[in-house]
Amino acid sequence: MISRIFRPFKEGFRGVFRHGAMSLSAATAVTITLFIISIFMLFTMNVRQFTQGIEQSVPISVQIDYDHESAEQEGAIELAISEIPGVAEIKYYSKAEEFQYFLDAFTDERTRAAMEPFENDNPMHDSYYVEVSDGTQLESIANQISQIPGVFKVNFGGASATNLISMLRTIRFGGGILALALSILAIFLIQNTIKLTILARADEIAIMRNVGATNGFIRSPFLIEGILIGALGAVLPVAGTYYGYRYLYNFTDGYIISQMFTLLHPVPFVKYVCLALLGIGMLVGLIGSFFSVTRYLRWRR
Amino acid sequence: MIECTHVFKKYKNGVNALYDINLKVDQGEFVYIIGPTGSGKSTLIKLLDGEEIPTKGTVNVVGINVGKLRHSKVPIYRRNIGVVFQDFRLLPSKTVFENISYALEVINMRKDLIRRRTREVMNLVGLDEKGSSFPRELSGGQQQRAAIARAIANRPKVLIADEPTGNLDPGMSDEVMALLEKINREYGTTILMVTHDLTMVNKHRKRTIVLEHGHIVADLAEGGYVRHDQ
Repeated sequence: MISRIFRPFKEGFRGVFRHGAMSLSAATAVTITLFIISIFMLFTMNVRQFTQGIEQSVPISVQIDYDHESAEQEGAIELAISEIPGVAEIKYYSKAEEFQYFLDAFTDERTRAAMEPFENDNPMHDSYYVEVSDGTQLESIANQISQIPGVFKVNFGGASATNLISMLRTIRFGGGILALALSILAIFLIQNTIKLTILARADEIAIMRNVGATNGFIRSPFLIEGILIGALGAVLPVAGTYYGYRYLYNFTDGYIISQMFTLLHPVPFVKYVCLALLGIGMLVGLIGSFFSVTRYLRWRR
Repeated sequence: MIECTHVFKKYKNGVNALYDINLKVDQGEFVYIIGPTGSGKSTLIKLLDGEEIPTKGTVNVVGINVGKLRHSKVPIYRRNIGVVFQDFRLLPSKTVFENISYALEVINMRKDLIRRRTREVMNLVGLDEKGSSFPRELSGGQQQRAAIARAIANRPKVLIADEPTGNLDPGMSDEVMALLEKINREYGTTILMVTHDLTMVNKHRKRTIVLEHGHIVADLAEGGYVRHDQ
């Protein structure tokens, strides 16, 4: 009974080694395509990270009316903002802080001296900086905030901000589509290679049927063989991705050009990518050999 | 045991291979099927082992209507019959021992029984020493004996042999023939042997069915010399 369960595994392992050259060529196809998929995965995930980072760093500034500056009134405004769906974070800056910030923008002493008298008659407003979770809602959230009583002015960068966000979306979406298309292409490539290796064994499959082996009995070792070839082909891409990305991260100190393009930290990101690569390799091996064997089972009666 | 009634076979490419074949073979018989190339011998074998479906008529083997079998059931039917092919059809990536035991693994036999039975039939065909050899390392005669061992391993009621001596020299042929006779005698296995080796047919006389152009032209219970155009 137990030997019956282990038979496909034993036979599958044996098949990989006895057809060494064919296993190697199929595994090579897996290796090449997984490398390509790996590069695309790292690229699109990081682009995703950049664009989301940029998107979320476009805040809405909310200035409070001079006649709503009591702690109670401001608390009510903050509550009202936080209740709007899509609001991720709210930060409060008092008018004193705002003035200081404004003042710090000037470096030469004369201008600063000219500005300082205004500190006691501060023209700034108490403000909230609102970050949104989804950049496309920037405009509608800004509009909703402007309706709240006591809000003097709402500013979110207007059309240029929404344009930037829609452009980032396109980049992200396009990258995703490209990665998907490439993965499908890779699966076809691998399936073809596996089909070729099994074609060489179509006779073998017919002989197995000749001596009374049912289709399931014939198929199962081939499926294990496919999974093994997939896993074997994933070894180099997984190792390459794991060490390559860490090297890249350390080499660039974790960002490209400016702090705005921060790379995803290798832990745990690169581990997930490696697991995904191994999973894709094994799954494609399984699917590829399933379709190929099924086809050749039908080759002869 | 084997019964063909009004069997016709026409291939998709239009070739008519068999016309109105009526044939009955009883349990324990040893029958030759002879005839020139293209007479329909191979087609008859393919109908009997389920590889082809008759265009008309019924093929009945061990009580199973072979032409009506579903694709997935064909291998299960084949466990009742052993087939020995002219080109041996051994699995190239398996050793002799594994080739023979494969036929027993497929019927879920217990492992220790498989081992015992495989050694038994290897001994019967005289391949005791060749268990760990791969088919490519064996001579034609040895490969044929391995194929016979595989065919009889699960004690089939019927053994169909398609030109089992076709690729062998006369000495080897006699050896294989003696082996088949032994199987027929000792196990009571029904044997259907396709051949065009007339010397063999004359030397070991048995019931002989003659096929020509897809027709049965003679069915000689006593066997012996048959004249036909090659």
